[in-house]
Amino acid sequence: MGWVVFGAWFPSEPLPSNVQQVALISAEQFEKLSQQRQAPQVAPEPAPLNEPAAVQPAPDPEPQADPEPEIARPEPVAPAAPDPQVTDRPEPQPEPDVPVELPSAAEEPEVASLVPQLRPETAPRPVDRVAPEPVAPPEPDTKIDDIVQPEVAPEEGAETEQDVQEATAREAANDRIVTEENEGEDVAASAAPAVSKRPKTRPARPKPEPEPQVTEAAQSAEPEQPAKTQQSDTSSAVADALAEALAGGADVVAPEPSGPPLTLGEKDALRVEVSRCWNVGSLSTDALKTTVVVSVSLAQDGKPDTGSIRMLSSTGGSSSAAKQAYEAARRAIIRCGVRGFQLPPEKYAQWRDIEMTFNPERMRIK
Amino acid sequence: MSGLKLAVAAVAVLGLAACSNNRWDDTANGGAGAGAGLGAGALDPASPAYFQQTIGDRVLFAVDQSTLSPAAQGILQGQARWLTQNADYVVTIEGHADEQGTREYNLALGARRANAAREYLISQGVAGHRMKVVSYGKERPLEICSEEACYAKNRRAVTVLAGGLTG
Amino acid sequence: MRKILAALLIGAAAAAGAGAAMAQDGPLRIEIDQGVIEPLPYAVPDFVPETPAASEYAAQIARVIAADLSGTGLFREVPASAHISKVTGFDSPVKYADWKAVNAQALITGAVSVNGNQLTVRFRGHDVFAEKELGTGLQFTGTTDGWRRMAHKVADAIYSRITGESGYFDSRVVYVSESGPKNDRRKRLAVMDYDGANVQYLTNSASIVLAPRFSPTGDRVLYTSYESGFPQIHVLDVGQVQRKVLSSGDGTMSFAPRFAPDGRTIVYSQTQGGNTDLFSMDINTGAKTRLTSAPSIETAPSFSPDGSQIVFESDRSGSQQLYVMPAGGGEARRISFGQGRYGTPVWSPRGDMIAFTKQNKGRFHIGVMRTDGSEERLLTASFLDEGPTWAPNGRVIMFTRESQGSAGRALLYSVDITGRNLKPVKTPDGASDPAWSPLQN
Repeated sequence: MGWVVFGAWFPSEPLPSNVQQVALISAEQFEKLSQQRQAPQVAPEPAPLNEPAAVQPAPDPEPQADPEPEIARPEPVAPAAPDPQVTDRPEPQPEPDVPVELPSAAEEPEVASLVPQLRPETAPRPVDRVAPEPVAPPEPDTKIDDIVQPEVAPEEGAETEQDVQEATAREAANDRIVTEENEGEDVAASAAPAVSKRPKTRPARPKPEPEPQVTEAAQSAEPEQPAKTQQSDTSSAVADALAEALAGGADVVAPEPSGPPLTLGEKDALRVEVSRCWNVGSLSTDALKTTVVVSVSLAQDGKPDTGSIRMLSSTGGSSSAAKQAYEAARRAIIRCGVRGFQLPPEKYAQWRDIEMTFNPERMRIK
Repeated sequence: MSGLKLAVAAVAVLGLAACSNNRWDDTANGGAGAGAGLGAGALDPASPAYFQQTIGDRVLFAVDQSTLSPAAQGILQGQARWLTQNADYVVTIEGHADEQGTREYNLALGARRANAAREYLISQGVAGHRMKVVSYGKERPLEICSEEACYAKNRRAVTVLAGGLTG
Repeated sequence: MRKILAALLIGAAAAAGAGAAMAQDGPLRIEIDQGVIEPLPYAVPDFVPETPAASEYAAQIARVIAADLSGTGLFREVPASAHISKVTGFDSPVKYADWKAVNAQALITGAVSVNGNQLTVRFRGHDVFAEKELGTGLQFTGTTDGWRRMAHKVADAIYSRITGESGYFDSRVVYVSESGPKNDRRKRLAVMDYDGANVQYLTNSASIVLAPRFSPTGDRVLYTSYESGFPQIHVLDVGQVQRKVLSSGDGTMSFAPRFAPDGRTIVYSQTQGGNTDLFSMDINTGAKTRLTSAPSIETAPSFSPDGSQIVFESDRSGSQQLYVMPAGGGEARRISFGQGRYGTPVWSPRGDMIAFTKQNKGRFHIGVMRTDGSEERLLTASFLDEGPTWAPNGRVIMFTRESQGSAGRALLYSVDITGRNLKPVKTPDGASDPAWSPLQN
């Protein structure tokens, strides 16, 4: 490194070695650059779809494309598909043999989120889920579900087919958002004991009602079920199911029981059930200031009638925020009600119609 | 006075150590480089090398401060004498900060430090029009460790000699 | 299997017979005030190519959409390996049951056609569990080389439809690209898509460049350069081939320039005699106005989105703190009162929050507070975080994180304003001082 006694006035002259060989951008390069910025002309505003797309006609005639398909859609209701693995809950069986693999596609990413190290793109966060109560990470191979299930295996040699219930646990969660800044402060929360697993038993209320569409629905669920043990003909399964249900379903003809009002505990249990699926994580800050009141009618088995779900009112946010808030509420009701809410059957008339107020005030910044 | 000598010596050593491994070495800017060492240049009291290494071309500051310590004032007195005797030189005083601060604040802080040195030199009789200040904030650290030992050397104002008044 | 079916049948029957029930005192009322915060699972199968030339884009567009959505941390993709049904035609009926079965709560379907260099993307979002479309389907048309932007626009539309926030994927980031070791760092201005794609360099690395900012329309960049030997303000017209030095005055330093929302006024710091104050300038006429005159450091200004106020940092109290004053100057009100030092305030595009850098107990944090200083929340903590910039929708913050030690280097990170989803932004080299553009047109 030589030196010059009388250098330039501002001699921050870099030495030749190591200098990045990047010439000052030329006019052409700049032009190209600006072209790059402008050339990919993308219409700033999206066009509605029904513009002539040459290839396809406007999508209107498509029933599925109907923007607001209301309840009375004549399409096959396909209730079987959402959750092939669970419907009824037979006696828990301790022995975990013959585990039938179930199509649990969601399992992969969710398990990954329990093991943050496996996701290099994510910062070292204990869990990226926030729930009302902290949930410790479940056993590594437990399926994650919103509803905690004991494991159920088919009874050996049973002549009728049985449901197989993989043990599930709720996904691990913190009871507040853990940021890099606050994560050291109270780690105890995430190490809290696992929530007790509530075995959910509910008297079966068989009631027959033939519905031909079910066959189709069942078929759509079938292909993914690699159930080696119980591959049976679907249509005969339907017939069997109907026969069985018909045989045992004497009581259902009676008028629905009304019974006394729900106890606080019963209401609270319902509240907790819905809470578990009420995911506000993808809502805008505006929607998180919006309280929506949603009405829903439940069937006697506790399952929500999806078509009955309505927003009665909203407060606090714009109408578009209310829409997002309502959609999150609707998802909560449908998803956590997919196996029926746990409600006392003898009080059906008390809970057939429900108004749920979803108030995100406490969820805004956890 | 012995304190002053010590400070001068320390700074001279520091300057040498720094310029052996550092592209930004302030002394390279129109002044003496490592090649000069303590050779003839440093012995000639009128040489820039003497200014940099024997008198000391830089003063150091405490964290987030721009006040001149007694040691710093001693160095600046030496600089002022030299500049008075070598009136052909103009200088740029470069202010620097350590990395513990936000970028733009550190620019302003470096400017404060450089200006503190300039004001002191003016008080010692150096004409203001011979001295410009510029701040590099935390952009040009001499030392690269993330410890106080390095930070202390990076919080500096360096008096860089340049051509004569006409050049 | 049979029991499953039976139960389903019962459900349907019960619903049908519900009319006979005796309602008791109106509906049951419950209030839900606790929920979960977790990513929403969604699926975006490859788009359907409708012309032969479209096939190379069809899959890639779906991948960019997925990267955008999953990258927010608000969504989680159900991978293609888990999909049950294939989408073979854009207008074919969606088998909602198949998507429910894999717990995809949202589904995005689309089709791509190419005609010459014209690319058309049609898409729909679906709420799987409600078995409804999310809004109406839309289409974008553009040139084939803009396919990434079209994918970002689709993702913006979906994101916006589900979350209610406006989108931010079709945006760019200007930043300082850094190479070389800590004591020989080379800096040059670069611009890239928000996700790190399409990096382009705007200056060479002959002189230090700092803290660029986009104009409100995204067509110009203000920055500080040492090209003259002193830090001075430059404006670069990204569309034309022009760079211009805005500040002048030999021997004065000017830096920290920011555009006002009008795109014509800038505010910046100027140092005279070691003292740094704030000034504004009309960049057309060059007329300057002094905004502060205190013996302290006043810098790092940022306009409120309505242009009426400026938030800035000052050490007039003895340490770096945040202050708000009218855009024309005048009395400033201190808004930061916590422990430590506060700097680099940036007003959010929504106007309701201010992001800042905080130094406390030897750590650096990126934080947000309301514009009156209340509700301060720190989002990050590290050896050195600084210089937040807001995504155009005010939901995400990008900033510089520098690692410790002799080998330390700067990288860009982003974080959701809840503090979730902290992650690095890919850049080819070291990177600092990011500034987000507005949404592109």
